[in-house]
Amino acid sequence: MIKVTIKCFSQVKYALNQNELVLELKKGFRSSDLEKTIRIKAKGQLDNISLRIAINQQYITKNTELKDGDEVAFIPPVQGG
Amino acid sequence: MIKVEIINKPITPFISDDNRKQIGAELVFNGRVRNTEHGKKIIALEYEQYEGMAEVELKNIAVKTCDKFPIRDLLCRHRIGIINVGEISLHVLICAKHRKEALEAMNWFISELKKLVPIWKWAIMTDNTRIPSECEH
Repeated sequence: MIKVTIKCFSQVKYALNQNELVLELKKGFRSSDLEKTIRIKAKGQLDNISLRIAINQQYITKNTELKDGDEVAFIPPVQGG
Repeated sequence: MIKVEIINKPITPFISDDNRKQIGAELVFNGRVRNTEHGKKIIALEYEQYEGMAEVELKNIAVKTCDKFPIRDLLCRHRIGIINVGEISLHVLICAKHRKEALEAMNWFISELKKLVPIWKWAIMTDNTRIPSECEH
């Protein structure tokens, strides 16, 4: 098993009602698997929201195998400015 | 010179320097909090950031802007936390030899910031409820 920390912001925080959660996952779990898990936990509240993924504070563009200790953020459309 | 900051207090503007002889254009942008969100009155926006990543992304975009456009300086302050209607949330100063590249660089920098920097807004309504802002402009 591996343990990852998920940072929640904006609509993700609103949908999950948490700033952060720690999940234990099977070894080999990938970023796309975790996104599905998060969307299920959100019970439909994230269905129409595109989420970019950052691992350890860097955007990723490919489906990536997660490692023990990773910090993952599902980043809804950003709104700086 | 490149300088970016994400701060949790009112923005003080960068100081204009009259002694810089090679600068023909000094462009300042102030983004302010409007009083409506999709037609509804608000009293403030609360900005949240992904601490650490937001400032790194902001710096990356500033560096790319300086690589892409012939400008001399790009200075940026982005405020987070609760910002009341009318107050400044984003302050950018770009200096260049000519106006055209300063204007183009400003537009590109802010557009990229709005696409990539992990900062979000929560609208604080007149009844003090707080909802994720839907504004992506």
